[in-house]
Amino acid sequence: MTRTPRLTRVANRGSLRRLAPHLGFLATLLVAWQLAASVLDPLVLPSVTSIVAAGFDLVASGELPVALGQSVLLLVLGLLIASAVGLGFGILIGRSRVAHWTLSPYFSALFVIPTVALVPLVLIWFGFGMTGRVIVVVLAGVVPIMLSVSSSLRDEPGELVEVARSFGVRGELALLRTVRLRAAVPVIMSGLRLAVGRAVVGMAVAETYLRLGGIGALIRDYGSLFQTAYVFAAILPLSLLGVGLSALVGLVERHFQGWRS
Amino acid sequence: MSAAETRTGAARRGLRRPQYWLPVLSLAVFLAGWELVGRGIDPLLFAPPSRVAASFAELARSGELLSAVLTTINTLLLGYGLAILVGIPVGVLLAQSATAGAVLRPYFYGIFATPRVVIVPLIIVWFGVGYPGRLFLVFLWSMIAIATSTADGVRNARPDLVEVARSYGVSRAQIARHVQLPGSVPFVVAGLRIGAERAVVGVIIGEMFLQLTGLGGLIQSKAQSFEPPAVLCAVVIIAVIGTVLILSLDAVERRVSRWKE
Repeated sequence: MTRTPRLTRVANRGSLRRLAPHLGFLATLLVAWQLAASVLDPLVLPSVTSIVAAGFDLVASGELPVALGQSVLLLVLGLLIASAVGLGFGILIGRSRVAHWTLSPYFSALFVIPTVALVPLVLIWFGFGMTGRVIVVVLAGVVPIMLSVSSSLRDEPGELVEVARSFGVRGELALLRTVRLRAAVPVIMSGLRLAVGRAVVGMAVAETYLRLGGIGALIRDYGSLFQTAYVFAAILPLSLLGVGLSALVGLVERHFQGWRS
Repeated sequence: MSAAETRTGAARRGLRRPQYWLPVLSLAVFLAGWELVGRGIDPLLFAPPSRVAASFAELARSGELLSAVLTTINTLLLGYGLAILVGIPVGVLLAQSATAGAVLRPYFYGIFATPRVVIVPLIIVWFGVGYPGRLFLVFLWSMIAIATSTADGVRNARPDLVEVARSYGVSRAQIARHVQLPGSVPFVVAGLRIGAERAVVGVIIGEMFLQLTGLGGLIQSKAQSFEPPAVLCAVVIIAVIGTVLILSLDAVERRVSRWKE
């Protein structure tokens, strides 16, 4: 118990020293940007200060929070459905030979087709409302989840299954729930991390294509007005959303790996 | 124990044993079902396989398809080629300094995590609506994938060999050329694969959102005139191009790993 504070303090001092080059580079970058912006046309490169001002403006007017809220809702909805579908098909394809050889070619095909190329078709077929948009996000995110579930279920955790059997766990479903899926969690989490990255792209593509709300539409609207400072100010939170979400999944992933070892 | 082993062994072999008639049967059922359902639905919206095939023949006869494919492949190969030419040296340079790598990594990661559709307004003000902009969309994201993966590989290349070379007074450039780069080949190839996937998506985004040409432009214009069969033709061809690119990289990877042994 007494060891923790000292360790944190040492870690803090170490991280400060490690942070120094990062802060130095960031400062240099911002100064260089500001200097370059003072020479160039603000249409091409808006100054740092004008981007910050645009950011405040977007937050104060409520445009950015509303758009981000719509985007996050779409993203979460799409990822939940993608996880459920990916888990279901992943279990089928991972545990059944017939399902593997009949279903997995379609998922492979879905994997090589860029989501952008599917957006017009999906929106024609399923409508320009929430349904079409959610389906785009699901199509973008489902394959990595399905692949991670099926591949980790196919590799039998032999000893664990034996132990569970000797403790009286009977039947494929019970084994799946108590042993196989739990042993597969770290791999599934890394599949989910990939899926989050792809889902953010799917979300942005669907919103940009439709221009009916969300951060993608916000960026495209300001882009068509050639308000470059606002475009930058709206792109930044989207990048942070993508990085933050995959960092979050990565954190959970590491937690499970620690728990496993 | 041995009985259990043979049981799991048999189960594993059963799951892995190829069943080539199953995908064929599944595809036949899928296409037949699609055809039956498709005939009952508004032809403006749905596209049964027979009409997709007819549309393919029509597009091929008019020469529209060939010119679209050539435009797309031209941008794809030039952008990807530039990404390889720039990405590998940048990766080697990045790996020379641990601090530089660590400082630049978050920016690369942030750019990489940002969906490219939302960058399109910036590309328009920087490069205009044309070939250079489309090339940039292919180039930058591929280049980042190749550079970061190369840097990982160089950093992981046998430190003992680097040490030996250094003790013989070999210069840094020669170490990079003769020790680190050959040792990092598997990482470079992995980067080339991710870069290829990114490049295919980049071409399509550029053609759909920046300048309506090539296969992406075909998708966009045929979707607007409500011709789903023609859209599907373009989607299938994009999938084929992506698959051919990935398969040829797989062949390179196999050759490289055999050469390493």
